[in-house]
Amino acid sequence: MDRNIVYIKDTGILQPDRTKDVYAAFLNGLRDRGMQDSVMAVRVADIGAYNQGVVIKVLPDTTYYNVKDADINRIVDSIKEGKAVQGLAARKEPKQLRIVLRNCGVVDPDNIDDYLARDGYQALKKVLFDLKTPEKTIDEIKKSGLRGRGGAGYPTWMKWNFAKQMVSDQKYVICNGDEGDPGAYMDRSVLEGDPYSVVEGMMIAGFSVGATMGYFYIRAEYPLAVDRVQNAIDRCYERGLLGKNILGSNFNFGLEIRLGAGAFVCGEETALIASIEGRRGTPHPRPPYPSVKGLWEKPTVINNVETLANVPYIILKGGDVFARVGTATSKGTKVFALTGKIKNSGLVEVPMGTTIREIVFDVGGGIFNNKAIKAIQTGGPSGGVIPKDFLNTPVDYENLQKLGSIMGSGGMIVMDEDDCMVDIARFYQRFCFEESCGKCSPCRIGTAQMLNTLSKIAEGMGELSDLDNLRRISQAMQKAALCGLGQTAPNPVVSTLRYYQDEYEVHIINKKCPSKKCRNLLSYKIIPEKCKRCSVCMMNCEAKAITGNKDDGYVINMDKCVRCGKCFEVCKFKAVSKE
Amino acid sequence: MSKITKEELDSMAKQPKKEDKDWIKVGMSSCGIAAGAEEVFKTLTEEVKKRNIKVAIKKCGCAGMCSVEPLVEVNVEGMPQVTYGKVNKDVAIQILDDHIHSHRLVNDHIYDIQAKKPNG
Ligand SMILES: Cc1cc2nc3c(=O)[nH]c(=O)nc-3n(C[C@H](O)[C@H](O)[C@H](O)COP(=O)(O)O)c2cc1C
Ligand code: SF4
Ligand code: SF4
Ligand code: SF4
Ligand code: FES
Repeated sequence: MDRNIVYIKDTGILQPDRTKDVYAAFLNGLRDRGMQDSVMAVRVADIGAYNQGVVIKVLPDTTYYNVKDADINRIVDSIKEGKAVQGLAARKEPKQLRIVLRNCGVVDPDNIDDYLARDGYQALKKVLFDLKTPEKTIDEIKKSGLRGRGGAGYPTWMKWNFAKQMVSDQKYVICNGDEGDPGAYMDRSVLEGDPYSVVEGMMIAGFSVGATMGYFYIRAEYPLAVDRVQNAIDRCYERGLLGKNILGSNFNFGLEIRLGAGAFVCGEETALIASIEGRRGTPHPRPPYPSVKGLWEKPTVINNVETLANVPYIILKGGDVFARVGTATSKGTKVFALTGKIKNSGLVEVPMGTTIREIVFDVGGGIFNNKAIKAIQTGGPSGGVIPKDFLNTPVDYENLQKLGSIMGSGGMIVMDEDDCMVDIARFYQRFCFEESCGKCSPCRIGTAQMLNTLSKIAEGMGELSDLDNLRRISQAMQKAALCGLGQTAPNPVVSTLRYYQDEYEVHIINKKCPSKKCRNLLSYKIIPEKCKRCSVCMMNCEAKAITGNKDDGYVINMDKCVRCGKCFEVCKFKAVSKE
Repeated sequence: MSKITKEELDSMAKQPKKEDKDWIKVGMSSCGIAAGAEEVFKTLTEEVKKRNIKVAIKKCGCAGMCSVEPLVEVNVEGMPQVTYGKVNKDVAIQILDDHIHSHRLVNDHIYDIQAKKPNG
């Protein structure tokens, strides 16, 4: 006989973990009723609910939140009776929905038969034999409302349709697997975990626009992704899914990989195309757009990895089924790489329209160390910060843009009260400064000026006029930069200024960093009343900034101090203050 | 390798999907490998052979829970499908001893669980 299974986990974060005690009490309850052989109770490490006190889940679908000790026996009894305790049981609401990641963690990425067993190439077959024409295929994508997941959110069907309408002896599709934003690794995970879906998406894109050749552009820092995509391509050639007369139709299509050298700007489509052509990876002005004049001057569709991974699902299930998920303007799901001060960092996929709060707290488990959330950053160096007041915003392209950030490719960095907004702006500005290709002066000079100004402020030499300067340079770059890198590089600065101008001002006027992050603005002091005169701080100060002795006590000489923070860390008595 | 035909795909679409009966999957994406998934994979493969247990050891990609890698998912007859996290060599052996041999779940390493529906 199958045993009933029960999971137990204390999900509270404010008190010590009581999972073991509740588990013991539960086992006693089972034993008292002679049920120990028919019910298997388990302590789990994660139950998918957070900050709900003790959670008990009776499989398949009954969940109890905030279970009190007195409830335990009632729950045990209810298992015997085979029904849930009325009034105590909660409905189960899964927050994640896996469309892009449908096969990730399920199939062996190197095994084509695994993929075939999960409806692999059924969408391709449908396109070739049921829909039969590019028009009908593109129509299905149009119905789905799919928009590009690489950043800008351009409607995928429109891009395909432009390329389809072009008359040309040769057309191409490109999969953009460059993924250069710090904090983002969604595309890498999809390429590593489910390469065949992306390959199938490429074939369908190829058929739709009339291309016979496609390229995967993958950064060389992703060797495992490269290996797995190469293996997928090889197997597809072997099995006749790539090459000539695919599945006996008259569709011919080939795929190859090109490696990117890992410059952020090479993710920009015109630079990426130049790079594949063997030229220097620098952008050039659009229009003409790649769908008109792309790779080797031929019409080219360029799509992001995640965009393409959605395609087989849409074709197979129908565009209207896909369009049922999401918001009015943004359909389907979005994969986010949740990182920063979050308890369960990782890859999550949620329907568009899920609120930021749900993503951070229900899916991600909230902030670690019980700190208060301050903001979340989306869109990487092209995006911005969203303060905690807007946590209830449903994520979609428009909403994030309204808040001064962007969806971007899906990095989501959670920040707490220890994160300094000037420092964050400086971090992204430095990234853009270093990654600027230097071709146009608004970006080459603008990023440098912005970085200098931000550094000046962080080092306590800022003036109030610097804030106006930052805004002016931002506007110039947004208007005049040649490519998206320079046009969006000011975004983190603009958005932190928009929401946290007071924090900038404290840096400038009071020469203090409220989050105690900007090193040059910190000063260290020994609090005599707390100091036990153990001399540990002095021994650890490499700058020899601490003087004194056991009788007179110790003092820090701030002229010599290099603000390494070592004394603050080593003092066991919290006698060193950091301000 | 034989070419796949349209007819084969047709019949695959019609057939109810059959999965291997008993399997263990190890997440082997970059993050998993960085956390030590290769050793776990090796341990499982060797131990299963040594003990002559009939269970397929497979690899798979990222399941999304990067903070608790290495991840190991186990599906054997008579037990729910369980994702174990923070699995090292010792926990891997514990999974074979407890979960597979004694039909007892390995407490405190469970990160996700799916009740099995009858007939998959
Ligand atoms: C500086 C810069 C970097 C970019 N990096 C990427 C990237 O890593 N991956 C990506 O898919 N798109 C990136 N893009 C966007 C691409 O240029 C392009 O819009 C996208 O690949 C189109 O695919 P989609 O319509 O499917 O989103 C970047 C754009 C800019 C301006
Ligand atoms: S905006 Fe920056 S990255 Fe883009 S072309 Fe100009 S200098 Fe190069
Ligand atoms: S380590 Fe702390 S207690 Fe010891 S001398 Fe320094 S300040 Fe005083
Ligand atoms: S912060 Fe570093 S340099 Fe300054 S007093 Fe402490 S240990 Fe010495
Ligand atoms: S990328 Fe591996 S579990 Fe996340």
